[in-house]
Amino acid sequence: MGREVSESCIDSLLTVMVSTYCNRFYANKPELAARRIEAIGYQVGHQLSERYTMERPRFSDHLEAIKFICKDFWFELFKKQIDNLKTNHRGTFVLQDNCFCWLTRMSIDQSPENGTSEELSIMADNKVMQSMHLYFPCGIIRGALSNLGIPCAVSADISNLPACSFVIRIKA
Amino acid sequence: MQFFGGSEISPSPPVPTATGNNAHMMYVFNRNGVCLLYREWNRPLHTLNPQQDHKLMFGLLFSLKSLTAKMDPTNAEKGNLGIPQLPGLGCSFHSFRTNTYKLSFMETPSGIKFILVTNPRTGDLRETLKYIYNLYVEYVAKNPLYTPGTLIRCELFNTALDQYVRSIA
Repeated sequence: MGREVSESCIDSLLTVMVSTYCNRFYANKPELAARRIEAIGYQVGHQLSERYTMERPRFSDHLEAIKFICKDFWFELFKKQIDNLKTNHRGTFVLQDNCFCWLTRMSIDQSPENGTSEELSIMADNKVMQSMHLYFPCGIIRGALSNLGIPCAVSADISNLPACSFVIRIKA
Repeated sequence: MQFFGGSEISPSPPVPTATGNNAHMMYVFNRNGVCLLYREWNRPLHTLNPQQDHKLMFGLLFSLKSLTAKMDPTNAEKGNLGIPQLPGLGCSFHSFRTNTYKLSFMETPSGIKFILVTNPRTGDLRETLKYIYNLYVEYVAKNPLYTPGTLIRCELFNTALDQYVRSIA
């Protein structure tokens, strides 16, 4: 069911979206750019969760909804499931994807040989840009969960590329 | 009369070292002549400084392409002298070989030129260069952090390239 779109198209669209929001619309305000990108992800996640839960019964508890995100939702979006799910049973869930497809082609510039201050700041910028690309998937997860009736806050952690962990904190 | 065998005149090419790859070096240029990448694996002899080296290489290819297009005996229409041709038009040369190295070349429709210098016993490297172009598309063109037209400094591309070049015969 549903129509399909090419993955390269989506990859390029997301790249341009992040770079436009960061460099043109909110040029020196990374927080605003981040919130705008996350809001776009929220809308997308909201609508996608509507579509992918069409023929399913309501979820009995938070864990079931999170498991839906990890398995069916992630599979519909990225053709694979979440590799690892951890929880502290008190409203915090960590979803780990060992090879997050939107990050597989991203590589930071190699470390400069002389380490001048401008090159170091370029490297810091690259790190910021890398984290900018994560606001969109965080927004998707937050939108999907809020459509299922679970308000939450989602953040991402890329300490080891290309694995990526999403931390979901459910608001009590 | 003494007869000098051919093998005594030309020096034999250096054997690929155990640590190094089978290729000597590689250049990637864009359509404006900017050298996007220069990778060196096994180059004992450096004649020029890097800027001159890149300019010479780009100029050489430009002239060679022009020459091969003009000298093409099978082309029915007269080549338009002096007008630069779009990549892919006319005939395209793909390698030349000397007694010490072989230079293989590939130009993509977007104007990206790949040059790979290997030992002279290497076979046809067109498929290799196509694979390297695929690596370029995957890890450089699709890298969100890369700005087109600038120096390529992507870890993933370099690693994948080194690994692949090591495996070519």
